[in-house]
Amino acid sequence: MMSDEGLASSLRGFIQDPNPNLPNPNPNNSNPNPNSNAAKRKRNLPGTPADPDAEVVALSPKSLMATNRFLCEICNKGFQRDQNLQLHRRGHNLPWKLKQRTNKEVKKKVYICPEKTCVHHDPSRALGDLTGIKKHFSRKHGEKKWKCEKCSKKYAVQSDWKAHGKICGTREYKCDCGTLFSRKDSFITHRAFCDALAEESARFAPIPSANLNFRNELFNGGLSSLQPAGNPQFSSSIAGLDPATGQLNLNGQKPRLPLWLDNANTQLNNPIGNHPGNSNAFLASSSTSLPELVQMTPTNMLGLSSQNQWFNSGGNASSSGLPRVLKEEEENRGNLSDHISSLYYNNGQNSSQHETAPAHMSATALLQKAAQMGSTRSNSAIFGTGFGLMSSSLSSLSNFNSLNQSRNELQNFGQAENLNGLMTSTSQSTITTNQGDGLLLGNMSSSNNLVGNLRHPSAPPTIMPGSTDRGGSQSKSSGNEAEGGLTRDFLGVGGNESRPFLQQNELVKFASSMSSAMDFGNQ
Amino acid sequence: MLLVAGIAQEEGSSPLFFFLMSLSPSIGSPYTLLREMKSDERGMWLFGFLTACARCVAAGSLDSASSGLEQISLLASPDGDIVQRIVAYFTEALADRVLKGWRPGLHKALNSTKLTCAAEIILAQKLFFEYCPFLRLSYVITNQAILETMEGEKVVHIIDLHCFEPAQWINLLEELKARQEGPPHLRITGIHEQKEVLDQMAVRLQEAAEKLDIPFQFCPMVSKLENLDIESLRVKSGEAVAISSVLQLHSLLAYDDDTMRRNSPSVPNNSSSVHLPGVLHMNPRTLGDFLERDVMSLYGASPDSQSSPPPKTLSFLNALWGLSPKLMVVTEHESNHNCHGLMERVDEALKFYAALFDCLENTLPRAPVERQKIEKFLFGEEIKSIIACEGLERKARHEKLDKWIPRLEFAGFGKINLSYNGMKQAMRVLQSCNYDGFKIKEESGYFIICWHDYPLFSVSAWGFKRY
Repeated sequence: MMSDEGLASSLRGFIQDPNPNLPNPNPNNSNPNPNSNAAKRKRNLPGTPADPDAEVVALSPKSLMATNRFLCEICNKGFQRDQNLQLHRRGHNLPWKLKQRTNKEVKKKVYICPEKTCVHHDPSRALGDLTGIKKHFSRKHGEKKWKCEKCSKKYAVQSDWKAHGKICGTREYKCDCGTLFSRKDSFITHRAFCDALAEESARFAPIPSANLNFRNELFNGGLSSLQPAGNPQFSSSIAGLDPATGQLNLNGQKPRLPLWLDNANTQLNNPIGNHPGNSNAFLASSSTSLPELVQMTPTNMLGLSSQNQWFNSGGNASSSGLPRVLKEEEENRGNLSDHISSLYYNNGQNSSQHETAPAHMSATALLQKAAQMGSTRSNSAIFGTGFGLMSSSLSSLSNFNSLNQSRNELQNFGQAENLNGLMTSTSQSTITTNQGDGLLLGNMSSSNNLVGNLRHPSAPPTIMPGSTDRGGSQSKSSGNEAEGGLTRDFLGVGGNESRPFLQQNELVKFASSMSSAMDFGNQ
Repeated sequence: MLLVAGIAQEEGSSPLFFFLMSLSPSIGSPYTLLREMKSDERGMWLFGFLTACARCVAAGSLDSASSGLEQISLLASPDGDIVQRIVAYFTEALADRVLKGWRPGLHKALNSTKLTCAAEIILAQKLFFEYCPFLRLSYVITNQAILETMEGEKVVHIIDLHCFEPAQWINLLEELKARQEGPPHLRITGIHEQKEVLDQMAVRLQEAAEKLDIPFQFCPMVSKLENLDIESLRVKSGEAVAISSVLQLHSLLAYDDDTMRRNSPSVPNNSSSVHLPGVLHMNPRTLGDFLERDVMSLYGASPDSQSSPPPKTLSFLNALWGLSPKLMVVTEHESNHNCHGLMERVDEALKFYAALFDCLENTLPRAPVERQKIEKFLFGEEIKSIIACEGLERKARHEKLDKWIPRLEFAGFGKINLSYNGMKQAMRVLQSCNYDGFKIKEESGYFIICWHDYPLFSVSAWGFKRY
């Protein structure tokens, strides 16, 4: 028997502190697992090590956090394991004995957390790994000694700290509001809310409620996994919620968030009330725990990020019941936010930049928007005809949206036939945009039988864009020539030289068409 | 009018439209309508209309162009909102171009008493330095690069291709003073077209050097860049030479273009600023071999122009290379305003100057007079140069960094990566002066200064490569 002083003391370290839950340990037992009696009574929950014969080991905090419990008496070097100490003793020519691996099957050991308030203190919730319980204890009940340089986040476990250091700052998602995220899902979620709030503040009151209704419907769809057959209940509950928005305004937040959270609440609560068959044990438990979490959300509205932290911390919650619920919520939130983004972002949003509607857009944004709205295409029809072509304004008025969509199709002559007759004027103009040929611009003056004019022989592929700049006379003459040749104004009256670029009436119409078109586009 | 009625039928529902019908006889109404439009919408309309006008100009339909320009000019103004201002300068440039091409005699007569207001331009440049961070950033990055390259050097000679702001070098003097091994003997050769500017520089720099007790010598060089005589710079052997070129090199490209045009008027000029892939990383040892053929096309000249002088830019860069500079820091506009086609130039310039105007408006909201000066005498002049001028007159031949890189490499310069310390210094400038919205991106050793993700200026460092 190994009864050396050092060993005995180290063994004592492993002896559990008196614990009313467990039977009397055997201090003299050389077996470092004195509680072999306890485990045999209890059954583990699913999800925990399923071995009913597992030995539950309860270590004191000191022994849990201990490193180097085994000391060499010669040189006082500490070892975490007895085996290592024995090997070290060989070097001192001291008697050593390595413990053999036990012949019988090794009993699985599970460990409980010594902290009484901890969930894992219960043997039914024991963790299966010594390292795991050590880390858990440090994380939850220990002091955070490791600090990340970049973001000053603190960790109690060195491996956590290292892992974080690898990803800190490497992959960051940044919301327009300036908040940084390291996780994609939390970023997406935040962005959905963030945009929602930005939009709300920028627009009138009715719209947010409309959006809320949208969100409710989407939320219904999104959370179908949680409640497979519960849609009628949903709509009723949510319909009931709307007027109650004010009440559900938790901690003074803006209505949106609490509504969402309350949706979560009600939805989770509903199944329990109305679908007993559906309720799992964890759902039942989560319904009670969820309100706690809801109240955890911070008071300030700008705590979108803090709400996000709630999501994250929910994700990391040590309680095993919660993460599952929250994970589902997060997934659904992901769906939800996708839906939301697609709602809030108008289709045809080419630029990745989200353009909220500030009081005055920057010149760069206006320029982009002007270009997007087809200023190089359709507007040239509006503006660039200059020869009194009414049909262009007609087409712009009536076909504005289709114009936007079919912009790219207007490149070719050949596709002119695809568009209705009204569009051919614009198709002509689009052709001119790329080639910058004055001659084709001259074509724009032609009248309704436009297709015919498209194939006018003097439609000149030969004029190079480059040469138009050189010596204005050369191209000018040819331009004028083409203009003279092809010019037909709308009423068939020839001769376009004296026409002003845009008659005042036309200007009026174009202006109104622009404004109406813009309204059209903005809707 | 039948047409009007026709539209009314089509349109049908807009009450505004019918209202406009009733107003149509009066002349002032369309413009009041436009003025009453929300400024954003009007801005978009102005941009669209301007682009259409530019297209007319590019296409040579000068009649329509001129009436269109007239229409815009009623709405645009250098005193209006931001889009109105931008459009005003572009309109003026386009009109200038139209008149030049259409009635050159009239154009000349119109400009017969035009004085080059150099003082206003210099003032605008100073205001630009003062209120926009770009020059400051370029200077600190340059100075940091100089500091790092000149570590251990006892004699440093700096050649400033456009020496107008004393603060640039005073900052360097201070940094050099703080050097661990003590300051080197510093000599600065400043080049500028105006003697007065250089005189003032001399005074300020000498004063600063005396205060800091640094052995310092300032050599003014009154000269246009294209006429610079490298010999007269009197670079002594053994000196460590650093060259600072802030927004200067592009003006030399005008000469290339002009040379090329003179040599081969019939060749379409599409390749003027395009670099050939095969020529990119050329060893100057083989300069003689390739000069006649590929290199000239790099600079756009035709192969058979053997009798003509080599392209200006290349020869200038070669001359600089001949000084064996340890460092050359080049700051240039990060935008292609040297495209051959007018429309491309207009499009690029619109984007670029929209961003610049935005940036200026943001940083100078409460100093409209200064802002207008910068807009008119700095940006406006550049816009006019880009749009209204051709050939030698068009000095504002901005090109993106990726077009400069092969030129510099061909002239024998090797890239020097700008260090993180330079970035740190630049960020410090931005933070200490509270400049918001600016970003500095690092791309393979070059820095791109951006305004809200829109790249505006590029800074790159080069060194003499010995073969």
